[in-house]
Amino acid sequence: MATSSGRGLVSHDTQKRLQRIAVYLTALLISVFTIIPVYVMVVIAIQSPATTFAGGRVNLLPTEPSLRNFLVLLGSTDTVRYFVNSLVVTLGSTVLSTTIAVAAGYGLTRFDFTGKSLAARAVLFSYMFSPIVLAIPLYVVFSTLGLLNSHFALTLALTAISAPFCIWLMWQYFQTVPIALEESAWVRGASRWRTVRDVVLPVARPGYISAAIFAFAVAWNDFTMARVVMSRDEMYTITVGASLFLDRVSIGWGETMAVSLLISIPPFLIALFLQRYLLQGFSVGGLE
Amino acid sequence: MSTALKSRLAAAGSALRERDVDGTTLLLAACFVPMLAFFVVVWVIPIVYALGMSLFASPVRNPEFVGLGNYAELLGNGAFWGFLWNSVVYAVATTGLSLVIGLGLALVINQRIRGGDALRTLMIFPYLLPTLVVIFMWKFILDPNIGILNQFLVDAGLIDKPIAFFSTLEFAMPAVVVTSVWKFASFAFFILLARLQAIDPDLYERARVEGATTWQAFRDITFPHLRGAILIILLVRGIWMFNKFDIIYLSTRGGPLQQTTTLPIRVYQLAFSEVNFGMATALAGVMFFLLAGVAVVYFRAFAPEQEVA
Repeated sequence: MATSSGRGLVSHDTQKRLQRIAVYLTALLISVFTIIPVYVMVVIAIQSPATTFAGGRVNLLPTEPSLRNFLVLLGSTDTVRYFVNSLVVTLGSTVLSTTIAVAAGYGLTRFDFTGKSLAARAVLFSYMFSPIVLAIPLYVVFSTLGLLNSHFALTLALTAISAPFCIWLMWQYFQTVPIALEESAWVRGASRWRTVRDVVLPVARPGYISAAIFAFAVAWNDFTMARVVMSRDEMYTITVGASLFLDRVSIGWGETMAVSLLISIPPFLIALFLQRYLLQGFSVGGLE
Repeated sequence: MSTALKSRLAAAGSALRERDVDGTTLLLAACFVPMLAFFVVVWVIPIVYALGMSLFASPVRNPEFVGLGNYAELLGNGAFWGFLWNSVVYAVATTGLSLVIGLGLALVINQRIRGGDALRTLMIFPYLLPTLVVIFMWKFILDPNIGILNQFLVDAGLIDKPIAFFSTLEFAMPAVVVTSVWKFASFAFFILLARLQAIDPDLYERARVEGATTWQAFRDITFPHLRGAILIILLVRGIWMFNKFDIIYLSTRGGPLQQTTTLPIRVYQLAFSEVNFGMATALAGVMFFLLAGVAVVYFRAFAPEQEVA
């Protein structure tokens, strides 16, 4: 190793340079590792299988983009219906989860009662809980009540796994909102309800956007709950419906990657436009 | 609402009702009733119901009370311990690797390198992409017939013939682990990056002035600030990976020959392939108590509730 100080140590400059190289090399390796699978998905989705597999090898330099895979999805699968099911339960559980979380977060922060730390532990315990371990009991109850294969049941199940973190997030968030704002509204004669509507909710906006994003991501990503609660094809969400595509003879990798690309659009938009709310969520723990 | 609950809530709100602002009781109810109702409906009732069910043989068709019989049968079967071992291997491998990669990248991006912001945005994708999509990507890459990894390895002369990674005894678990790490390394990364960015830069400046090496600065400043977050990641991520169902189910269904069957996969098999709800709920019960045990340790060691209460 180069020594310029003459004392048998690596010189400061050389050390700095080596460190710099190591830093960039790590960044490069992880970027490549992250990008390759995404790139492969996109390329296979946007060219016809004939082009992808021409010559018996996989061609990953797109030369002839085509909508063929998407047209097959539209024409000969129930992709559209699966997407509609996903949207219904995702939006439903996002609204439900966020509403419960905002109310609970505000109440837990602003009202004093004994057993607060027990409540915190209950929320954290459900936050760490395993979706599949909850899915079995939910299946049993929904089955007894005849609620299997309904949007309502799946919405509840999805809310069950997203609400604990959303509550935790809002609880932490409201603690950073000084009560002085509300007090000055009360002093000026506003009722508690008006204060909540005109002071608390606007201030809490970044918090509940963040909670909504996590609730949305959990529901959109979900496979476990939908697999357990929905057994009829017409009720499948997109993740369950598409997971069965590869078992069909008529569907190949082109269509599979095309549907993957479509499923990835909402997460892609969140990453691009709502990143800071997501990072805010990670500062209090993130979700499964 | 029961009168007992009502009086509890009213008592709880007394502190703020002293201000004598109208509508407080109603607000109190609006805050807590949705959460309590929700917890009772989707958590308490199902879990109690399922725990009850776990005490019966064939609880759905013709229930016969067997007490802890299902649990005895479950724990007495050697296969259970194999599945438990698979869960532990999977959880330790994925959590450990995710932590190492996440930490490395967080340290790198914290250096404010060129392109750091773009790299940070890039890392959001694996975390947000639905598990199914991640599985499709890796199934394609690792496919024995058309997969690009096999193509590359054969071309490079490293292997003679393609490997069916997800369905070969010795490669199935590593393949599932790599797929999982690809998705979950970002989790550790984002949490650690948030902690790193909260460290006062003056500390490093002072260390530099005093002639500390990079390693010393890491050991004495960076690491102590990260220790808490690292322990939390090991614990919480570890629990989640131990309980992970979708990524394993979608990639191998627990095969080949139950090689990647973890407890969550086994619960699903018992309930929906073997339609044995007595055993399925008993196994879910075992997993519930395992989790409760870990939670007790977590609450004792970290007192996380102090962040809010």
